[in-house]
Amino acid sequence: MIAALRSPWSPRLAGVGLGLVVTVSMAVFGHRLSGAGAYQNLSGFVGKRIAPDAMYWQHVVPTGLTWDVLVLIGSLGGAFAAASFSRTFKVRLMPDRQWADVFGSSVARRWLLAFVGSMLTEVGGGLAGGCTASLALSGGAVLAPAAFVFMAGMFASGIPTALVLYRRTDS
Amino acid sequence: MTTIAPLLIGFAFGWLLQKAGLSRYDRVVNVFRLRDFALLEFLLTALVTAAIGIRVVRAFDPAVDVPIPTTYLAGNLAGGLVFGVGMALSGFCPGTIAAGAGEGRLDYLIPGALGLYTGALVFGDDYGSIMPALSRWGRLGAVTFAEALRVEPWLLVILLAELSTLTLYVIARRHRGARP
Repeated sequence: MIAALRSPWSPRLAGVGLGLVVTVSMAVFGHRLSGAGAYQNLSGFVGKRIAPDAMYWQHVVPTGLTWDVLVLIGSLGGAFAAASFSRTFKVRLMPDRQWADVFGSSVARRWLLAFVGSMLTEVGGGLAGGCTASLALSGGAVLAPAAFVFMAGMFASGIPTALVLYRRTDS
Repeated sequence: MTTIAPLLIGFAFGWLLQKAGLSRYDRVVNVFRLRDFALLEFLLTALVTAAIGIRVVRAFDPAVDVPIPTTYLAGNLAGGLVFGVGMALSGFCPGTIAAGAGEGRLDYLIPGALGLYTGALVFGDDYGSIMPALSRWGRLGAVTFAEALRVEPWLLVILLAELSTLTLYVIARRHRGARP
């Protein structure tokens, strides 16, 4: 039991667990499981000041400590607990492996590309109507066409992007 | 209850992402290099389990209200294309940023979370000029394949489970013993 809490889990086993979590979230509480949604709910604190008339913060998403924000806070705690049990919690500035082989050891470059990449995921999630968790997974589980179109788009651009970034390393 | 439930759901989400190693840059990016399929395994098993779970709950209580995302094909696809570029560049998807931050990764906690926040601001600011037009292209509404095709939902869930199992089988055969 303790050993299982300390070791990494097979992604397939962890995936079954996540499926049960999504079942409870969707069918008991009526909420999609979301990674990107919390940032939309938090964006209004700044967005309403810089664009007071924007339709988005007036009518589209609520601003405040919503369900999705609480999920975000919980997920920070869950990852911290899992890392603590595995004794893999460690404050670090860069990915442990692979990144430096391709992009070099500059922290500034990693942080810049991390910022740009995460911004693109949030914008993409906004355009699509959800992220990997809230659209691909939660939407796929109720057989929404949107989920499968989103997943196709994600791989259709992700694969060539990775191939271009890794063209020197992989050839 | 409405405070405790999302905190617990989030806790499980973060725990599982960390345990499956998806809080690591290499693990997320390598699915796009067709070298490490952990993300796909995690996503497909979760998808099938949730699809079955939700149908089981609905079999006991047909009145239960499950949220259905809106399908507007052009936007779903365009958003997916933008999302995939960001994911392959950074090794993040929004959920894994919290998971990486929780295990002490400052590139997740600081530029990662700031990038998401900035992305939400940019999207929110431009929402009015983009989304009303974009969401009209190929708009099917809050519909499921079962409703659109007039098929029994269980048949599609079983089909999804079979296709996912086949995919997982092919992955397991190709990568036997390869996982670190």
